[in-house]
Amino acid sequence: MSCELVERTLDAYLDRELDAESSTAVRDHVRVCAACRGQLAGREALTKLVRGAPYYPAPDRLRARVLTQSTRPNSVRRVLGWAAAAVLVLSVGAALSLWRPETSRGNVIADAVVDSHVRSLMANHLFDVQSTDQHTVKPWFLGKLDFSPPVVDLASRGFPLVGGRLDYVGGRPVAALVYQRQKHTINVFVSPETGDSSTRDIVRTIRGFNLRHWIRDGMSFWAVSDVNSADLAAFASAAQER
Amino acid sequence: MFEQTVLPHLDAAFNYARWLTRNDAEAEDVVQDACVRAMRFFSSLRDDDARAWLLTIVRNTWYSRVARLAKMSAGKPLNEAQDHWPDLALDPEERLVQQHTVSLVRRALEQLPVDFREVIVLREIEGLSYKEIAAIAGVPIGTVMSRLARARERLQTVLTLASPREALR
Repeated sequence: MSCELVERTLDAYLDRELDAESSTAVRDHVRVCAACRGQLAGREALTKLVRGAPYYPAPDRLRARVLTQSTRPNSVRRVLGWAAAAVLVLSVGAALSLWRPETSRGNVIADAVVDSHVRSLMANHLFDVQSTDQHTVKPWFLGKLDFSPPVVDLASRGFPLVGGRLDYVGGRPVAALVYQRQKHTINVFVSPETGDSSTRDIVRTIRGFNLRHWIRDGMSFWAVSDVNSADLAAFASAAQER
Repeated sequence: MFEQTVLPHLDAAFNYARWLTRNDAEAEDVVQDACVRAMRFFSSLRDDDARAWLLTIVRNTWYSRVARLAKMSAGKPLNEAQDHWPDLALDPEERLVQQHTVSLVRRALEQLPVDFREVIVLREIEGLSYKEIAAIAGVPIGTVMSRLARARERLQTVLTLASPREALR
């Protein structure tokens, strides 16, 4: 690969948006070319810097206003007409969703996982035990569950462990491990494998959240987050390496 | 339904709007209007990506507001058409005051043309993929790539100039 081509694909390489072949070509080139290596280092440093830029969460009053708007829309006159439409849309939507023909067990559990994830974020109940130390988080589950979830810190891979809590998915208690990726939360739900093949290795996007399932050492893992699917894939492979 | 689907992405919506508008009050207005629209068009949410869908509505809401305001104030051209280098030279005193890296980065980002600013925000702060960004901004993936590259080049120059010793550590 020429320096010119590398320069043009450097950003996509950094963002993990290149296919495997081009990615390897860039990596090989950078290894032997000091100039391009310097370019890459500069970009990496910049990316790190920019990711420290402020994240502006929605103010509580805005959240409250949107909620009021969606539940009691007639408080604002101009919304009245839209509200009627929305109610119609919502009831049609509700009817359709009840009507959905195939709801396999895998889909139901995937939905339940996303619900638990959303609940943990909305109710601000992310942790029962808040610690970045796997040796604190793992023993915390002792006596609270009839299994011992494997807990690894993946900080060195860009996914620091931040805590854990008890949660319920699909009608049984599970261990929820909480990781962070920049400003995003990744929930990992761990429970003993049940031999149910309908959820096996599901990779999906539900309501804007990415979701991955895997089985390892007799345990079933669900990772769910709003990080992009490439990052979640990287997380899953890092978690499975250990 | 609506609350469950949209509210979890309200932070993403506000963050995006805040970076577009560079102003708290305006960002709140934009997001609120966007939510009213989202409610209205809730049935158009076909695929599962509610976040990208909401961010697209935020973007459209903001653009139509800007267009409306521009019309009212005798047709100032949209920011997106401008591509001049802003004057970012900090004088020595300002440099002392502004040593804080976060405020340097924030300022550098805020001064990028909006087309560049939004790809950086969506990629670096929101962590979206090129494909998602392309869908939200309504441009081909190739355009996302070139905007990102140019935006980063500009930021690199600006941040190195603004704080030669610290910025790129």
